[in-house]
Amino acid sequence: MVIVRRVKPLPYWIIPIIALLAGIAISVIILYVLMGASPAAVLSAIVYGFTRPGVVAKTFVALTIVGIALLVSFKGSIWNIGGEGQITFGLMAATWVALFTALPYINPGLAQVSMILLAMVAGGIWALLAALPRAYLGLDEVPVTLIMNYIAYYIVDILVRGPWLGKHVYNYIRTDTIPAQVMFPQVPGTTMTWDGLFLLIILFVGVWYLLRNTSIGLRIRILGNNPNLLRSSGISVPLMIIVALTISGFIAGSVGALYLGGDVYRISYPVEAHTANYGYTGILVAWLSMLELIAVPIAAYIVSALYTAGIQYQILVGGHLGQLLTAGSAIVDVFIGSILLMYTILITISEYKIKIIVKR
Amino acid sequence: MAAEANNAKPTFLSPPQEGKKPIVSLRGITKRFPGVIALDHIDLDIYPGTVHALLGENGAGKSTLVKVLYGIYTPDEGEIIINGRPTRLTSPADAINMGIVMVSQSPQIIDTLTVAENIILGLEKYNHFVPVTKVYKTIREESKRVGIKIDPGIEVWRLSYTQKQLVEILRAILLGAKVLLLDEAITYLPIEEKQRFYKFIRRFADEGGTVVLITHKIYEAMDVADKITVLRRGKVAGHLDRKEATIEKIRALMFGERSAEITYERLPTAQPEPKTILEVKDLWVMGDFGGYAVQGVSLEVKKGEVLGIAGVAGNGQKELIQAIMRLRPVMKGRIIYNGEDITRKTTYYLRVNGVGYIPDLPAKYGVSIENSIIENIAVLPVYSRGIINWDKIRELTLKLIKEFEIKTPSPDTPVKFLSGGNIMKVLVARELTVATNLLVAYNPTRALDEATAIKVRKIIKEKVLKNKVSAIIASEDLDEIFQISDRIAVMNSGKIVGVFPADKAKREEIEHLMVM
Ligand SMILES: Nc1ncnc2c1ncn2[C@@H]1O[C@H](COP(=O)(O)OP(=O)(O)OP(=O)(O)O)[C@@H](O)[C@H]1O
Ligand SMILES: [Mg+2]
Repeated sequence: MVIVRRVKPLPYWIIPIIALLAGIAISVIILYVLMGASPAAVLSAIVYGFTRPGVVAKTFVALTIVGIALLVSFKGSIWNIGGEGQITFGLMAATWVALFTALPYINPGLAQVSMILLAMVAGGIWALLAALPRAYLGLDEVPVTLIMNYIAYYIVDILVRGPWLGKHVYNYIRTDTIPAQVMFPQVPGTTMTWDGLFLLIILFVGVWYLLRNTSIGLRIRILGNNPNLLRSSGISVPLMIIVALTISGFIAGSVGALYLGGDVYRISYPVEAHTANYGYTGILVAWLSMLELIAVPIAAYIVSALYTAGIQYQILVGGHLGQLLTAGSAIVDVFIGSILLMYTILITISEYKIKIIVKR
Repeated sequence: MAAEANNAKPTFLSPPQEGKKPIVSLRGITKRFPGVIALDHIDLDIYPGTVHALLGENGAGKSTLVKVLYGIYTPDEGEIIINGRPTRLTSPADAINMGIVMVSQSPQIIDTLTVAENIILGLEKYNHFVPVTKVYKTIREESKRVGIKIDPGIEVWRLSYTQKQLVEILRAILLGAKVLLLDEAITYLPIEEKQRFYKFIRRFADEGGTVVLITHKIYEAMDVADKITVLRRGKVAGHLDRKEATIEKIRALMFGERSAEITYERLPTAQPEPKTILEVKDLWVMGDFGGYAVQGVSLEVKKGEVLGIAGVAGNGQKELIQAIMRLRPVMKGRIIYNGEDITRKTTYYLRVNGVGYIPDLPAKYGVSIENSIIENIAVLPVYSRGIINWDKIRELTLKLIKEFEIKTPSPDTPVKFLSGGNIMKVLVARELTVATNLLVAYNPTRALDEATAIKVRKIIKEKVLKNKVSAIIASEDLDEIFQISDRIAVMNSGKIVGVFPADKAKREEIEHLMVM
């Protein structure tokens, strides 16, 4: 079987919209068939999700930032699947600042900024480690960044079970709660924090400027389109790969700090069971945006609304609190999986044709 | 995916009889793109059994016209009449079903498959479960008939550009093409293959087939074509019969008053300064598939002269040029630029020190077609460090668009929306601007129309004469080599087999050395 590029691709902006609608339709069917969920209840949960910006806000901020982060590397055709690991590393770095330095007691404002900045540096370093083999050995970044997500979980798990195990945690395996003065203040009436909102604005404008007005941004975009032009212009392609992936990890890392300071306030063991999976969900956001920066917040809003809808559905049908988290996120997974699947199928058939030939 | 219905293809080819009904007629075909009318009410009749040349300057609409015929573009207005019946072509599959197949300048076949696998992809009658080896025989027989040698089992990435183009054409014939659309498909084949191909085309037409031939080599078109249609700015400038066509008439139709500038006379010989700008000493460079493509080449370029490198494609010119640009490792030998040993230096060093570079295959190595013209200019390290000064680069871009008459709605247009020749102009304009000390070029006027090609050569020569820029130019086009060079080096099988002062060089002698 071979895949041939179509001479005439379909208009591209239609695809995310169809993928979204078809994905929701399929989700409703799957949920009805497998879980007996009433379509009306699912749809009303979706309406709820889309009409409550205040509730959606926290997820929206995180997903927009991850979407922006992935967009930077995707623009260079570097497929950073490691957002999750970079966020986890960011979470670790922010936790260190909050729990193991004196900064929160000396200057809480500076401490919050440090949490975010250090989280970014940690995320950047984690991405850099994946970028080096990609740049100099040509090792595919997709499996490398993916595997590094699990290594990141593992490292944090070791810390939480060992040196970072909290003193006031009863029998739970988790770190202590961070001091109240470094819990990020909330924007009234919403689930998001001021820190998150400011960070979002800074990163959005910053990346817009980077891609548009700097030679690094231009070269990342050309890296994605035709690295041969970089070579013949005398620009190092390995270096640009490293820059693209590291910036991506740098931005993604900040979400770890937001997650700590505005959401969970501590790391619980095992960290992989307590993650919001923003690193993976962000991939959907980046794709739905068709790699247009302006569309990232739109895509993020849609995805976070569906995210919220999944949880709201559980409340509507009155599940127990314990079930709520797991079943809620299962529904989110159905939504996100269906849309991503539809998106992939549509992109493929719009650009490629599949033909069958028999070898030998 | 689902096979296109393999229903009886219309067999509309009656034996060739002059004066018969056209096989393809276009009536009032109009195609607009944002900011341009690429085709403006085109009327055209193409008769079976003829070779029909389609000529016109860069951006005239030739490629758009054949893409309409191949179902890639749907016309905004007008009618395509195939064999007497109005027909809608909505995809290349439709066109192929009607016996219309296009071959373009850049090979479309898939590198990871073998020749046979590539060919079988399009052949419905062998689809889907016939083992590939079964078609080997057919491929061998057919390629013999066409007069080309090709191993059906070889993977395409191992083939040269020439061989890939031959596979494309073979594939078109095996697809049962009745009408072959050749969009500069054979323009860049080496002379020998090209001549063999023109013979085949002639035979194909004599046996009742139809060929639409796009080329910028007007003499070749006059040699092989029965009919000539000239397009200008999206309109038909004129239809000519072989008998009435003269080079002056054609050029006048193509270029209007610009045709007066066309001359193949040698440009003035430069008086180089004694200083050596580029020196290559006993250079050994590997080819793509192992083996030395460059074998002990030594040469010298003085300040303010043009060294032309003549040779048939595939004799090591590409590797030599890439090694000089530090894009290919040097196994042995040295390269000295401006008194500095650059054998271990990077491309970057050259690019920020006044070296312009025009690579072969511009769309692949010289521009990024998804990016805009202005971005393709800004990418060079001399124009952008840190924060890009877009105002300055926009100004430069607008100047170049004007100077080189690049046909584009705006400097922000993605390069992929330009015509083939205009893409090349973007590259050439950019590189001539940065070549303040040395120009390294391989086929610098590829894909350009005659008038533009000559203009580019004049600009290069002017820089050499006035600003004492040096140039090393490899080209497969001997007219070009003779017109622009001050000295001519002939390259054959990786070696320099002779160097001549251009004003004394004999064409026959050089041709002989090239193929010896
Ligand atoms: N897909 C497209 N989108 C926008 N404009 C286009 C597109 N294709 C062609 N054009 C424009 O249409 C005009 C005709 O282009 P075309 O490629 O047909 O020229 P051409 O005669 O083949 O020239 P060349 O000799 O340079 O190949 C050009 O001005 C070109 O910019
Ligand atoms: Mg063309």
